Amino acid sequence: MKFIIKILLIALCVFSLFFLQVFNPVAAVAQKGAKPAKPPATHPKLAEANYAFDVNAMGDMSDFDPATVQFPKGDTIKVAVVASFTGPAAIVGKIYWAAVAWAAYDINQRGGIMVDGKKKFVEVIQADHMGRLDQCKKVAERMALQEKVHVLVGTDGSHLMKVINQVADKYKIIAQNITSTSDDLMDATNFSRYAFMSCLSSSQVGSGLGYFYGQIRKKEKRFYIICQDYAFGRSIADSFKKGLKQYYPQAKIVGEDYHKLFLTDFAPYLEKIKAAKPDVIFTGDWIPDGANLVKQARQMGLKQPFAHLFLDDPNFLHEIGPQAATGNIQITQYGVEGGAFKTPEQIKYYKTWHDLWANRWKTEPYNSRLFEHGSGNLGSYRQQAYWLFSVIERAGSTDPEKIIAVWENDTYRLPTGKVLRMRACDHKVVQDLHVFEYVPAAQQKVSMNIEPYYWYKDAASTGPTWRIPAEKVLPWMDTKLERCAGKNEWGE
Amino acid sequence: MIDKMKRWLPWAALIIALAFVPKIFGIYYMNFFITFAVFAVFSVSLNLLLGYTGLLSFGHAMYFGAGGYGTALALKYIWNLPLLPALSIGILSAVLLALIVCPLVVRVGGTAFAMMHMAFAQLLYVIALKSRFITGGEDGLANFRIPPFSIPGVVSFPLEGAPANFYYFAIIVLGASLWLMWFFTKTPFGQIQVGIRDNAKRIDYLGFKVTHAKAVVYIVSAAFAGVAGSVYAMFQNVVAPDGYLGLLVSFTPIINTMLGGIASFFGPVWGTAIYALIEEIIFRYTDRVELVIGIIFVLVIMYAPLGFSGLMLKLKFKWMMFKNKRMRQAA
Repeated sequence: MKFIIKILLIALCVFSLFFLQVFNPVAAVAQKGAKPAKPPATHPKLAEANYAFDVNAMGDMSDFDPATVQFPKGDTIKVAVVASFTGPAAIVGKIYWAAVAWAAYDINQRGGIMVDGKKKFVEVIQADHMGRLDQCKKVAERMALQEKVHVLVGTDGSHLMKVINQVADKYKIIAQNITSTSDDLMDATNFSRYAFMSCLSSSQVGSGLGYFYGQIRKKEKRFYIICQDYAFGRSIADSFKKGLKQYYPQAKIVGEDYHKLFLTDFAPYLEKIKAAKPDVIFTGDWIPDGANLVKQARQMGLKQPFAHLFLDDPNFLHEIGPQAATGNIQITQYGVEGGAFKTPEQIKYYKTWHDLWANRWKTEPYNSRLFEHGSGNLGSYRQQAYWLFSVIERAGSTDPEKIIAVWENDTYRLPTGKVLRMRACDHKVVQDLHVFEYVPAAQQKVSMNIEPYYWYKDAASTGPTWRIPAEKVLPWMDTKLERCAGKNEWGE
Repeated sequence: MIDKMKRWLPWAALIIALAFVPKIFGIYYMNFFITFAVFAVFSVSLNLLLGYTGLLSFGHAMYFGAGGYGTALALKYIWNLPLLPALSIGILSAVLLALIVCPLVVRVGGTAFAMMHMAFAQLLYVIALKSRFITGGEDGLANFRIPPFSIPGVVSFPLEGAPANFYYFAIIVLGASLWLMWFFTKTPFGQIQVGIRDNAKRIDYLGFKVTHAKAVVYIVSAAFAGVAGSVYAMFQNVVAPDGYLGLLVSFTPIINTMLGGIASFFGPVWGTAIYALIEEIIFRYTDRVELVIGIIFVLVIMYAPLGFSGLMLKLKFKWMMFKNKRMRQAA
């Protein structure tokens, strides 16, 4: 009997210990803490905006078609889209055109903008630099002197954007950079009061991905860098290395390469990557290079995911199939954590574009999948164009000095709810960024939360999304630039 | 005396007209004219080889590029370098390159000469592309300082931010280059060039060293291509491999020369003017300038192989014949 009591007491003790272990309050708190932490709230400096895009104020877009759109001529607000409209990157120019033309058409449908005491329509002009530096200079000067445009919008290539900024500075007109991310565009040597970089910058991409891999993901450790051999490629690679060093010191760069722009054979580079056995391949390549790189990588049996900025072209994602892009990581300036659609306005804004694509746009390339959703990079270009027109409207003038005065320190809320802030001292944008993981159609509903609950049925696309707070990805500031001396990273 | 005045009158009129370009036309046409003048000098420098010596080069851009890069690098890295030394460094870069290349190329002619130049130009293109820390790679060099034009104690005026001043500087330098090249072709040595083109063996039998003569012409041609490249670099304030060393840059003076006519000194100048005008007009309607220029080039080769100046000569000849015929009929 004594023996049985002894056994029961021991069992009770063991059970009590087990019970305490499982249900003690400290463990419960610890377990609660292990749940994914909520992202920190939006920084107070980005909580309020001077101007918010109002979807309900949009004009009638039912006749808009980027292939056939006509703009009023004469006494107008002239905007030139300086980009590749021919040559290997011709498709990129078409993307910028669709984005800027959309915003301009909408403004015109609303009756134009009141500037210098008169309502004026917006006229958008295509200026083809063919991806060539000499041509870019020539065409930008033509736009400034011959067409007398008020704004030069560009472009695919930081080296080309540098030339556009230079022309803008020389002839005192506004240049808006909607896509070239090199930080040195706004450094002490190249800064111009007339140039505004309304897109994200390389330093933000680098620190954003560093933060994601080091502080959120905490999984992959070996990275290989392959980028295009020009200002942007070098700058984004350097920023990625700096970002990893800052937020993920355990990470290792196992190799890096820089290839010529518009390369068609990546095999030598891919062989090197294969041998280095990285966990992730980081690339800043944009189409067509990025698409060719990933296609060839998959053909050669490389299964590692790509971390990227511009590999979101659905045409090529369909070509390589859903498996080949699943697991890829994209950092973007146009994202929303959780479902993409949270308000009826967001759905309306999305559907206005998507329905036109589905029912009205019949001309190549605007009828292709690349233009289906109007989100991602394309969505960002569209919003940057709206921001420009909003600034002109609030300046009440096409006088560059008045535009500069309004744009510096301006804050602008996108339909996604995110706020952009133009840092006054170096004209770079402070904003939250987002990181997407690419997943097959069945898992895309976490992002595409309205019917049909996937972005693309036969391609990997946006799935889980993480917000990278603005304070973690503040753009690099050149303190040698007099205007920035003694200022903090918020430019204050 | 009156004959001499008659001869100089059109040139004096041209100089006066050029002086008033900034006042009459805006910045845009001033820039247009500078570009035209740069490519006119570049094309005439090529024609010293092609038209006068019978040597076709598919890589003349390397001297244009050497001039451009030489000046840009000097202005970027040599602190406070004055304008004329910067220009001289550009010219010297082209001459130095020609001195290195000419021992190899002057011994050959025809296709070998053309292809060797293409190879050398491509080599230089790749070097410029890959030497990122010196040449800026694909991005090139931009935003370098443009020093003021100054002759100490005499004159000094800024070129940066003063388009009219730059226009006068460029026109004087390029005009002087054209005159020097014209003068060169009129010297006895210039006539040897034509002899080499027509019958190199005969020149050899006359006691001239053909390879040496070719080398001198080659270096002179490179130097003037360097002048054009150097002025263009200062004008554009940006140099990059595609715009200075690319294949298209090598083909531009060939097309200009063929359009204008290889048989005359001013043929390439006419060709450049035609090219620039066509480009200017076509650009208003389409971006496909090269396509239209290509079609025109084919038509010129087929129907006017001596180019614009050849066509003018032919018309002049026909007009004279017609006039003579009428005079004979009247008599």
